[in-house]
Amino acid sequence: MEELVFYAFAILAVGSALLVVNLKNTARALFLFFVTLFAMAGLFIFALADFVAITQIMVYVGGVLILMLFAFMLSNKELLKALQHIPGRFLTMPNWQSLLLALGFFGVLLWGVVEWQQQTPDWIVQNIKQGNVIQPHDNNIQQLGLKFMTQYILPFEVISVFLLMVLIGAAHLSRKEEQK
Amino acid sequence: MVLLLRFAYVCIQLRIILKSFVSQLFIHILVPVAIFGFIALFTLFAVYAERKIAGFVQDRLGPMETGKYGLLQTIADILKLLQKEFITPKAADKILFAAAPVIIFGAVYIGYAVIPWAPDFLPANTHTGLFFIMAVVSIDAIGILMAGWGSNNKYSLLGSIRAIAQMVSYEIPVGLSLIAAVMITQTLNLNEIALQQGVLSPEPVFFLGIWDVSNVGGFLAWNIFQAPHLIIVYIIFFIASLAECNRAPFDIPEAESELIGGFHTEYGGIRFAFIFLAEYAMMFLVAMLGVVLFLGGWNTLLPNIGPLKLADWTTGIGWGIFWTLLKSLTIVGVQIWIRWTLPRFRADQLMSLCWKVMIPLGFVCMAISGLWRILVMV
Repeated sequence: MEELVFYAFAILAVGSALLVVNLKNTARALFLFFVTLFAMAGLFIFALADFVAITQIMVYVGGVLILMLFAFMLSNKELLKALQHIPGRFLTMPNWQSLLLALGFFGVLLWGVVEWQQQTPDWIVQNIKQGNVIQPHDNNIQQLGLKFMTQYILPFEVISVFLLMVLIGAAHLSRKEEQK
Repeated sequence: MVLLLRFAYVCIQLRIILKSFVSQLFIHILVPVAIFGFIALFTLFAVYAERKIAGFVQDRLGPMETGKYGLLQTIADILKLLQKEFITPKAADKILFAAAPVIIFGAVYIGYAVIPWAPDFLPANTHTGLFFIMAVVSIDAIGILMAGWGSNNKYSLLGSIRAIAQMVSYEIPVGLSLIAAVMITQTLNLNEIALQQGVLSPEPVFFLGIWDVSNVGGFLAWNIFQAPHLIIVYIIFFIASLAECNRAPFDIPEAESELIGGFHTEYGGIRFAFIFLAEYAMMFLVAMLGVVLFLGGWNTLLPNIGPLKLADWTTGIGWGIFWTLLKSLTIVGVQIWIRWTLPRFRADQLMSLCWKVMIPLGFVCMAISGLWRILVMV
């Protein structure tokens, strides 16, 4: 049952992502992107990372996606037309270059599969033996909070300062020009 | 013989598995259906109440023709909506137009999954309950934008852009007020938050941070009285949640004098019914969320007074549902009352109220919550 749901989410994520890049209608593609993000959030829940799943929906669907839609709707129609009529090319590169890029990426994936030794690494086996695993009913949020405030305090603070900079920058860009 | 026994054993095992599977499936289907039924019933009742209260405020009678005192009016309305044909405008984006009402309603409907109705009586008891609701409700905005864009009508698009601007802005004061409350409760699990505000609380409860009311309960143990600044936080939450549901005085997205009907101008029949259902479900959802976080959730209003154990007597599953409903419906009543009392805000007034008054106030309250937690609750 659980596997069935997992594969349903996986197919949904991959299929909708493929459609997003292939659709000619940009508005529909953006709305379809919502399905991709939603399916990804579902996959995160299977990894018992419910906090990450919910954050994904909150940040990407509630923020980034809406921003993208706004940018799309408020931009010039002629500009979009030029964007929508790219004649059968990938990233506006000649075919042989895009083929090279695709093959290279496929090679990296293939290399990953070959390198992966069909068995769980030692440290995972060890932790399972010691009972050092996350259960579905554990309070992950508390653990996350403790880790953020102790072990990962520096990255956490750096991110918050960075976000503050972005906020100040946004406020500065959008303020009215002074009348001279 | 051994083989036969083993076969019988496997059969029994299979039956047990199948039985638990079926019963689980039954629960997983029955609970959502029950919640949907409740939302539909509530909407019928609330629309009637809304029209009657509007009539009272404006010194007229409201619906009187259908049934005694017009009681059957909303049932007649929904029957009419169900019979109407699907009309899709010729220029509309057919897929987006059809999907939008489903997403708008779905977003609000999923939110009901984590709200407690009574002690340990809730569809899903998760540690991320509150965060989940905040995330799910933000999907609502996508649905509204979808409806506005899919209709291919300038009024719809303008209405939906206004709605998004408003919802995205007001999500910040809502979030700040929730954080201020969560800093006091120290958990995102809505069931535990409700549990901490009454006689069943596992930890000691203090009225205003001084008087131990763990065994007294009643309204004295509610969050807004545990830390007095949470009263202000609740008012922020209430005002911001009005804007989140696009209710008057913040109903700029559907300002009928400027925008015909806002983002749902082109909708009719059952699709319109779903958008309407989502609106009322959202009203009840935010009312219930406010009740759980600030007004004691399913905890009783009555405190224990000496030998008169009013709080102990009025706590339980049945009483819990009763108190949740009573408190939430009262808050919905206040929402309706405000709608017919206050005039609509202008767009710039709305934004300056949000960014210049409520967000700074929210930050101050959050800071007070932190200090309260460190200095008073130790």
